Amino acid sequence: MKRQVWLLVLILGLAGAQTVGNEPPPDLSPQVFEIAKKLRCPVCRGESAAESNAGVTEEMRRQIAEMLAEGKSEDEIIQYFVDRYTEWILYEPPKRGLGLVVWLAPVIGLGIFGFGLYSYLRVASRRAAELEGVSEEELARAEAELGRDDEGGAPS
Amino acid sequence: MRTLLGVVVAAVIGALLWWGIQTKDERSELPSALVGRAAPAFDLELLPGARADWGERLDLSDHLGKKPIVLNFWASWCYPACYEEAPILQAAWLRYHDRVLFVGVNTQDELDKAEKFVEQFGITFPNVYDPRGRVGIDYGMYGVPETFAISAEGRVLERFAGTISAEKLEAMVREVLP
Repeated sequence: MKRQVWLLVLILGLAGAQTVGNEPPPDLSPQVFEIAKKLRCPVCRGESAAESNAGVTEEMRRQIAEMLAEGKSEDEIIQYFVDRYTEWILYEPPKRGLGLVVWLAPVIGLGIFGFGLYSYLRVASRRAAELEGVSEEELARAEAELGRDDEGGAPS
Repeated sequence: MRTLLGVVVAAVIGALLWWGIQTKDERSELPSALVGRAAPAFDLELLPGARADWGERLDLSDHLGKKPIVLNFWASWCYPACYEEAPILQAAWLRYHDRVLFVGVNTQDELDKAEKFVEQFGITFPNVYDPRGRVGIDYGMYGVPETFAISAEGRVLERFAGTISAEKLEAMVREVLP
């Protein structure tokens, strides 16, 4: 019986340990981190305000929590930071203007690559089709002529 | 013709890669949302060394619209940038103190370290203490040091990110002087 209780404690302890690190600190609600994920850390490269441990992002999260407590919506909170930092602060570029180019760039790149591949394959298959119509004798004659040209060599 | 096209494409891709890997201080290139707008006011506790001359707190709204202001964000942990520009700011303050108000905002720092910094450089312009860095966010600050030029009408005219040189500070002061 005693062994079973210890086993249960161990299992519960391991289950608890699994969640450590995945959850936000207890003093801030998960909603704070959801909003912070949409904002960039001003002093880091490639990190959102939710992931960064920089002092400025701690303050950003604190301000988000305060604004949520005041009843502000997510859009209002994000606008608050855009008003101070411009749209640069948005972790994902807006889907308009220059930001739209960033969103469409992979699709455009893929389109160009696809078009290039299609053009190449079309030319290659056309050449293969042309070769199919040539008889064995014609091919042998062409090869013989090419060989004669090579033996003659280019004038030096 | 095809070879030439290949060379051009390779050159374009190479140039893009080269441009992408360049390490540059992008902070100075970032636009400030504040430029042209009214400078945000704040009311903060002054660092102890400034209290004899300026009182317990400094409310920026008492000064906005009355005199040009140079607002500098700094921290004692910001080395070497803040240490390099501190003597430059103090020298400019001594020169222009009758025409321009200089205000330092100590950001996300410890009080004793901030006070030691002020003593070390003999800074006599008022410095407020903002341990949370709240004012920095209001000014859209990317990181210390940053300096803002505020006109006599209370509008932000310019933001400079990074260590400010004597020449740049002089230019900023001249810009805000009526």
